[in-house]
Amino acid sequence: MVFFGSVWKEASLDLQTLILSLQQYWAEVGCVIQKPYDLEVGAGTMHPETFLRVLGPEPYRVAYVQPSRRPADARYGENPFRLGKHLQLQVILKPSPDDVQDLYLQSLKALGIDPAVHDIRFEEDNWESPTLGAWGVGWQVLLDGMEITQFTYFQQAGGVELAPISAELTYGLERIAMFLQRRDSIYDVVWGGGRRYGDVRLKEEWEASVYGFEVADVSMLRRHFEDWEREAGRCLEHDPPLIVPALEATLKTSHLFNLMDARGAISVTERVGLIGRIRRNAVRVAKAYVLQRGEMGHPLGNALEGVAHG
Amino acid sequence: MADFLLEIRTEEIPANALPGARRQLGEKLGQALAQASFDGIEVRTFSTNRRLVALVSGLPKRQADRTEVLTGPPARIAFGADGAPTKAAEGFAKKAGVPLEQLERVETPKGEYVAATVRLEGRPTAEILAEAIPSILSGLHFPKMMRWGLGTHVFVRPVHGVVAMLDGEIVPMTVFDVKADFRTVGHRVHAPGIIEITEPAAYIRALEERQVFIDPEKRRHSLEALAGRLAAEAGCRVHPDEDLVAEHVELVEYPGLIRGEIDRAHLELPPEVVITTLRHHQKCLILEREDGELAPYFLAVVDRADDPEGLIRQGNEWVIGARLSDAAFFFKEDRTCPLEDLVPRLERLEFHRKLGSLAAKAERTGLLGRWLAEAAGITMSPGEVERVARLVKADLVTHMVGEFPELQGIMGGHYLRLDGEPEEVWTAARDHYQPQGFEGPVPASDLGRLIGAADRMDSVASLFAAGEVPTGSKDPFGLRRAAQGLVRIIAAAGWNVDIAAFVRRACELAVETAGGDLEPVVAQVMPFITDRVRRYLVELAHVSPDTADAVMHAAWSALPALEARAHALEAVRSQPEFRALTLAFKRVRNITEGQPDAGVDPGLLIEPAEKQLYEAAVQFQSELEMSLAAHRVDEAFAHMGRLAGILDQFFIDVLVMAEDQRIRANRIGLLKMLGRDFLTLADLSKLQVEGGES
Repeated sequence: MVFFGSVWKEASLDLQTLILSLQQYWAEVGCVIQKPYDLEVGAGTMHPETFLRVLGPEPYRVAYVQPSRRPADARYGENPFRLGKHLQLQVILKPSPDDVQDLYLQSLKALGIDPAVHDIRFEEDNWESPTLGAWGVGWQVLLDGMEITQFTYFQQAGGVELAPISAELTYGLERIAMFLQRRDSIYDVVWGGGRRYGDVRLKEEWEASVYGFEVADVSMLRRHFEDWEREAGRCLEHDPPLIVPALEATLKTSHLFNLMDARGAISVTERVGLIGRIRRNAVRVAKAYVLQRGEMGHPLGNALEGVAHG
Repeated sequence: MADFLLEIRTEEIPANALPGARRQLGEKLGQALAQASFDGIEVRTFSTNRRLVALVSGLPKRQADRTEVLTGPPARIAFGADGAPTKAAEGFAKKAGVPLEQLERVETPKGEYVAATVRLEGRPTAEILAEAIPSILSGLHFPKMMRWGLGTHVFVRPVHGVVAMLDGEIVPMTVFDVKADFRTVGHRVHAPGIIEITEPAAYIRALEERQVFIDPEKRRHSLEALAGRLAAEAGCRVHPDEDLVAEHVELVEYPGLIRGEIDRAHLELPPEVVITTLRHHQKCLILEREDGELAPYFLAVVDRADDPEGLIRQGNEWVIGARLSDAAFFFKEDRTCPLEDLVPRLERLEFHRKLGSLAAKAERTGLLGRWLAEAAGITMSPGEVERVARLVKADLVTHMVGEFPELQGIMGGHYLRLDGEPEEVWTAARDHYQPQGFEGPVPASDLGRLIGAADRMDSVASLFAAGEVPTGSKDPFGLRRAAQGLVRIIAAAGWNVDIAAFVRRACELAVETAGGDLEPVVAQVMPFITDRVRRYLVELAHVSPDTADAVMHAAWSALPALEARAHALEAVRSQPEFRALTLAFKRVRNITEGQPDAGVDPGLLIEPAEKQLYEAAVQFQSELEMSLAAHRVDEAFAHMGRLAGILDQFFIDVLVMAEDQRIRANRIGLLKMLGRDFLTLADLSKLQVEGGES
């Protein structure tokens, strides 16, 4: 079979089949298939199913799609490669299994990508999130020169050294779809159900750009940043600490920061301070979660004691 | 003799970690072998992105037996007055493992001691290796280390296989929970199956048959040959990029390249944009025509030998098309307004936490540029210097430089040219980051040089003021390079400006922003700059280090004058009269040091030799003035050289430390006067002279 021109396009997956195939595959590998977090986040890493689950000794496997908002990356729907909100498919395997690279390569087969006829390489690309107090070591996975996945071994989250180590796989779904469908614009990607990406999302991208760059009320954002920061503190000081509500409040401050940043409202000196304030709460949440799970006796098991999946 | 093979199979190791890993593995294994008395044995190390390999041949199968003399307690303790062995002797004999009667007495500088000659049986080499390898591996250092799985081990990437064989036998060991074996795997795509290695000597061949080429040099040759062939087929040559090729070598197990086409429309972008897009995002080489113009072809490195369905080329072409479209989009967006309109946004870009924004930095640069223009006698509107100082940084807020920081300056140049700015302005933006340290060209225009020098001077002064002083190998802001660039620009421009005053002005502006006291900053920056000036004299002007010290000690802060004096002194210093003068001058310094200067009263000169010296000194004074006024430094040194004989005669005939207080003070005054005049040219006491005191 020759994959050129229209033949290739017809043969490739639409966006929703891509998602369904990956979810099906990772479900078979033993992941909980979770839902996107119902808050505005900048990346799948902020979802409690990653940020909290990677902490402590309890083994866990999870996969989910996360719409990720980066207001400063928005381009009024005019740039064919950049979005203010894109879709990530996030997989966490904790502890990282010995055959994690093979598991990943098998997932590509589920997308109809046969490694035998492609060039797939793992090139160093490390990851760091100053707001989450998190960093990891890993690669970007290149398929015929296209970056299709970010592959990270988490070393630290919320300022906490991790053990066991989680492997995080983040598939950039629009890019993969664009590449597989050989489209010159994200908005031409076939979504499924007879619709293209632009039919579904173009107007929203334009509106989000106008809002983020021109309209958002900075003094309101600032006020809410203070409010939610305080709320995170109240949740943490509650007895017992309310971990997920505290994380949610912290994630809100992170998104508010991103909005203010896109709006050009954050000065040089202020920037470092605000990031530090978000991180401080993220670190407190992480520490409180570790304590909470310890007090609960690690109900999902303890990988470090060789306890099987709970 | 036996061969040893070690292969550590891992997940993909970062390219930048591999050269260091090969070196360390070779050194540490070599040291371990030397420690086990296997001397002069060559260790060869190799790697791919997925394995680290060491091969050793000609190893003895076991260590040679050897004897060692162990020293025990002093003889007077080991033996009683009756000569019978004591408990101490028994204890030592037991510890050394020899019968009591075989203890010997040895004479040492500390007296007589008991000793035992112990016969040490050589250990099997395999045993030594099994012991040494695990700690060698855990002692390898990588730029970034990681943990995986349960998080118990730290290495560059997770380890999946270990082959450790001495000839046909496995050397038993466990490394990062992986047991040594004689099995490995071939290339991930071409030969993914398990290979059994029969002996170390067969390893390289066995892997090559399975498309894994472990020798980086071999991969480099293959990649270069392949690149040349693919370029020639398209009637082109490869746009040279050694660093990129060196990285390609480390990225693969099989050295493969594919050639793809670039949409010609994309070549309308500035060539630097095309090259950087390909290099930065895709690590691709680009082809060019004979005349250096870019050709619409790229070479992408691939970790395989073929492209069975053409999908790899097609995919890479699609990605590169997308990347270049993206770059074109940036270019278009950046061009929607003149670059000057972006200047206010520099407020939002941080230069340094304690030093505020780039706008603030550009302001300081502008003021320093004005100062420098005035000092160097360059006619230029002060407002224009300040405007351009801001303008050259404006590209830092463009989309293109946001995406490709390495295009800073270059994009500013393009955008300002397209905005219709004068050539002097856009070339200043383009060139003001040049030179990098002492290397590379200096900006061609006065404006480019002014901005380049002022920008670097501010970086050094302000970052010092903010406490970012380079120490040892740590210089995160590249301040040594910046200071070298500054010196190089001033030297190339031939500006006879007072660098010390320039430094002081920059420090004043820096502490205005950073806060703190002025003098401590000046006290740190000044020697930092003088050290770079000295390096400039030695490394670029090729002057001997002590000549540089001699002229700098006289005065350092006007660079062209300094360089002229350095060359003049370098030219005359080995002449016999100058060597004599140098020795005499050291005497002058020794005698006059710490003595009060009472001046010279010609009426108090008695001896003919001192009268003669006085006359010569007075004459020298006026000669010096004239020569220097005419910028004839070599002539000034010639006049100085003629004083050698007179000064020698003075020291032969005249006793400086005369008993008469007034005569003594007068003679010291005479020598001081001469010393002062010499010091306008050089401090000869810094010169190393053969046969003289140092």
